[in-house]
Amino acid sequence: MRTNKQDTPQTTPRRSDEPIWWSLFSAGGVCVAMLVPAIALLVLLGIPLGLVSAEQLNYQRLQALVFHPLGLGVVLGAMVLPLFHAMHRIHHGLHDLKLAHGRLAKWLCYGSAVLLSSLALWLWLTVSMASG
Amino acid sequence: MPTLEMRLQRYRPEQDSAPHWQDFRVEYDDSTSVLDALEQIKAEQDSSLSYRWSCRMAICGSCGIMVNGVPKLGCKTFLRDYPKGLQLAPLGNFPVEKDLIVDMSRFLEHLTAIKPYLIAEAAPQGQPHRQTPAQLARYKQFSNCINCGLCYAACPQFGLKPDFLGPAAIALAHRYNLDSRDSGKAERMAQLNSDNGVWGCTFVGYCSTVCPKGVDPAAAVNQGKIASTLDGVIQWFKPAKEPRNKEQSK
Repeated sequence: MRTNKQDTPQTTPRRSDEPIWWSLFSAGGVCVAMLVPAIALLVLLGIPLGLVSAEQLNYQRLQALVFHPLGLGVVLGAMVLPLFHAMHRIHHGLHDLKLAHGRLAKWLCYGSAVLLSSLALWLWLTVSMASG
Repeated sequence: MPTLEMRLQRYRPEQDSAPHWQDFRVEYDDSTSVLDALEQIKAEQDSSLSYRWSCRMAICGSCGIMVNGVPKLGCKTFLRDYPKGLQLAPLGNFPVEKDLIVDMSRFLEHLTAIKPYLIAEAAPQGQPHRQTPAQLARYKQFSNCINCGLCYAACPQFGLKPDFLGPAAIALAHRYNLDSRDSGKAERMAQLNSDNGVWGCTFVGYCSTVCPKGVDPAAAVNQGKIASTLDGVIQWFKPAKEPRNKEQSK
């Protein structure tokens, strides 16, 4: 069997920035895996079976929950991290499907996650400051 | 004795402009392996057929081949399981040298790059390195790799980007990094930390499905992602003895 020693990578390769995106992806995955079944259980089973009153999940109550100081956790767990999770999957999916890879796809994917997350956080800040 | 139709991909670089299929009919019984069938063809029907083999018992990792499109070891795959006949082609994702033989240089380069051997200080006074069963259990399954390359034929990422270190190389890097006797982790991490290291994997997992030795390279790669992330965080907070971007200058 032939080995071409000259082709063997001798230089130290550049450290990937992927740990940042992968960590956000993993955190988002955990949040989605925990929150989505809980929400589905409440809405799809709890309410129809009469275990949870629909009144308890009305707009005012949910708004009060989200814009409570601790509601920032809800915004992070239900929106920001899942956004990064989804965009990471889309980014790598584009590469797998040979549709796009490289800098532009990466900027578009993670850029939109950053943009939408900033929007969510900005809305949260403005509304919670206004309400009190 | 029953017979079975076998379709083989042939390619003789001196004569053929492109690979083509050739049909053979072989006799077989319950114990006939794909490798036995190839030997039968070479001995009785076409002596020009080329394929790679050595041990016949799934130890050497030489006879990797695509059986109906699935990476398999010829010696560990039996004709009795393919009553409708089978189609043999050289291992996927590698350049074909001749007939069923591929050029595995790229895989061997990746293997060399991650230093798949024990990097350890000699134990004091010529004593053996001691290891508890628990320490052995941490890396044992990853040490069963026989370098057959089936996982590379299965890996869509290696197919898309041959610079990706790939399942076996990363599994072996992980195997030595987990070994309590080894102190070469720092030398291996630079390779694993790169875009072509653990981060080239999108966790398809087919490598672990096709492994003939029950190694789980996909698990090694994903444990490697955690190790690489921790390595990055530690590097970030470590007081810089040398300029931090030294390793990025190349």
